[in-house]
Amino acid sequence: MATESDSSQGAFSRWVDSAIESPEKVYRAMFYVVMLFFLFTTLFPFYWLLVLALTPNEAITSFGFPPVPNGFNPEAFVNVFTTVPFHVYMFNSFVLGIATTAVVLVLASLAGYVFGRLDFPGKGPLMLLILAVSYFPPAAFIIPLFRLFTGNISLLGVSSPNLFNTPFSMVLPFSALFMPLSIFILSTFYGQIPDGLEDAARIEGTTRLGALFRVIMPLSAPGVATAGVLTFISVYNEFFFSFLMTSGEANNWAPIVWGILSYQGQYTQLYNLMAAASIVGVLPVAILVVVAQEKIVSGLTAGALKE
Amino acid sequence: MGKVILEDVTKRYADVTAVDKMNLEIEDGEFVTLVGPSGCGKSTTLETIAGLTIPTDGKITIADREVTNLPPKDRGIAMVFQNIALFPHMDVYDNISFGLRLRDYPKEEIDRRVDRASDIVQLEGMLDRMPDEMSGGQRQRVAIARAIVREPEVFLMDEPLANLDAKLRVHMRTELQRLHKELDTTIIYVTHDQAEAMTMSDRIAVIDGGELQQIAPPLVCYNEPANLFVAGFIGSPSMNFVEGEVTSTGLSTPNFDVEFDPGQLSGVAEGDHLTLGVRPEDVYLRQGSEGVANPTQSIPARTDVLEPMGDEIFVYLLTGDAAEPSMEADPETSKNQLLMSVSPDSDIEAEQDVEVVLDRERVHLFDTETGDAISHTLEFPATEAGAAETETEAEGDD
Repeated sequence: MATESDSSQGAFSRWVDSAIESPEKVYRAMFYVVMLFFLFTTLFPFYWLLVLALTPNEAITSFGFPPVPNGFNPEAFVNVFTTVPFHVYMFNSFVLGIATTAVVLVLASLAGYVFGRLDFPGKGPLMLLILAVSYFPPAAFIIPLFRLFTGNISLLGVSSPNLFNTPFSMVLPFSALFMPLSIFILSTFYGQIPDGLEDAARIEGTTRLGALFRVIMPLSAPGVATAGVLTFISVYNEFFFSFLMTSGEANNWAPIVWGILSYQGQYTQLYNLMAAASIVGVLPVAILVVVAQEKIVSGLTAGALKE
Repeated sequence: MGKVILEDVTKRYADVTAVDKMNLEIEDGEFVTLVGPSGCGKSTTLETIAGLTIPTDGKITIADREVTNLPPKDRGIAMVFQNIALFPHMDVYDNISFGLRLRDYPKEEIDRRVDRASDIVQLEGMLDRMPDEMSGGQRQRVAIARAIVREPEVFLMDEPLANLDAKLRVHMRTELQRLHKELDTTIIYVTHDQAEAMTMSDRIAVIDGGELQQIAPPLVCYNEPANLFVAGFIGSPSMNFVEGEVTSTGLSTPNFDVEFDPGQLSGVAEGDHLTLGVRPEDVYLRQGSEGVANPTQSIPARTDVLEPMGDEIFVYLLTGDAAEPSMEADPETSKNQLLMSVSPDSDIEAEQDVEVVLDRERVHLFDTETGDAISHTLEFPATEAGAAETETEAEGDD
């Protein structure tokens, strides 16, 4: 296409001719098109958030295309924290995420050990049953769980504890919902650790449980990291239970979703702050993913496990 | 001390009995090898001693303490595995000191013991290496150091040399013997390699089908095998077996007869089916048999295949009329075959008619049905004469 020697043909026709001769060109072009499409759909929302965050709220109504900020107002990133205690909402989300991840990793490790390393009748069906839990729509659980966590259910004269507005009302359902996937991931990884290593650890002085935490888990670090990161991100991004299990105040363990919505009053909508808060809220997870991804990739490429 | 006693130890899985009523008594400081073919239950036996497998039945005592249901960590044992099983995420120091750290030993004590153990197995200067930076032999030494550092009552070794190359294996064999001398600790060693068992052990326990066949010093197993299985398993190449029938003058096999007085053997009557066993080195060419004090009658044979090994030549002989090389080497036709070992300077050729004799003092007789050994010689000492057998002899038909 660089040479214009044949003037009877347009540039496009010449490109088509050469593409027929060497189809790799088409594949490369398709790759770029698809990649640009995904980059656009992934990154444009961030750009749009940045535009909104930098535009003063008074000027936020109309944008041309491509959208550019109507003004420059970086103060929004400070006002995010002064208007509402957004840092407390973030802290709440972190605590919920870390608590859930810890619960899930400990329990899923035990289950993963059993499913990955032991043989017992009914293993396959039981694994399917556990996985089925994660296919249930969370909405199916919300009303009974809400009644349970607000002390409205009593069994033998003992009423259920009031967990509304506490972290437990979210950590418990999160753990239950995100556990099956982690069990599945970990049982696959734990199942690949050679029996000899566990035997050696037990001979050297650990119990089965000790061998799990001292030898099998460290050797399955990529799997544990994968399960942990997936759980943390799922909790951090969770909307449904986070929205319904607290009344929305920062000191009632309301997570980020409530923080963002609290810029919206009955008469004012601080869209610029909502956008800025969204960016601030995404950053920690983005950093976590980048760091963890490197760890996961390095763990996976370290080669097959040798005894 | 490190005495190990197994009483009627049995391990049954859903459909198989891996270990069947195993009784073993291993003395303190003894080097005992459990040997047998693959799947014979020797590894399962070791696992029950280690505590990695809990036996279905029976009792295990280590150092005067019943340990049958104790977890491995409370048994005072250390183990070296076939696949070495070093922890890949720990360096050599951490691997060796793993057990000591779990038991909260003080740091100086750990350092002292790790130094000593790495000294014994010659690992100086490698303590900060990771297992995947080491060769197979070095890794095996780390595994041994990890075992000796805890100063256990008993060492268990599950085919520790099986994954090493042949040269290193022979080297490590002597190392292990040296180690045993130095530490003077009970060692229970599992292998399927009878050469390893012969060279290292104080006693060999031959196991087949989950049952103990014989436990005895290596040369006793070799010279006086308790039954057909031990006779065939110990020794390489294997002992020759020829089935025959007892007559009034000895044993008659399809291709040759061996003379002896059946009355001298208790429980043997004319017409009984016995299996004659003779090792290749106890078969001689007739013209070279001057050194044999009590040769049998000469047996006509034809040489088939020669296997020069350098220090000796293995000669496959075909006996009997049907002296045709049988291509279909199924056990039925191979009963015409006799393996002989001759010195490398004998000028023997393939497809040659020869006459061979057996050393009567070293011919074994086994009961064909039960496999039990009846005699390990045909030259009976005068005192062994069984007078009572004369009656049963009369009943025997020809």
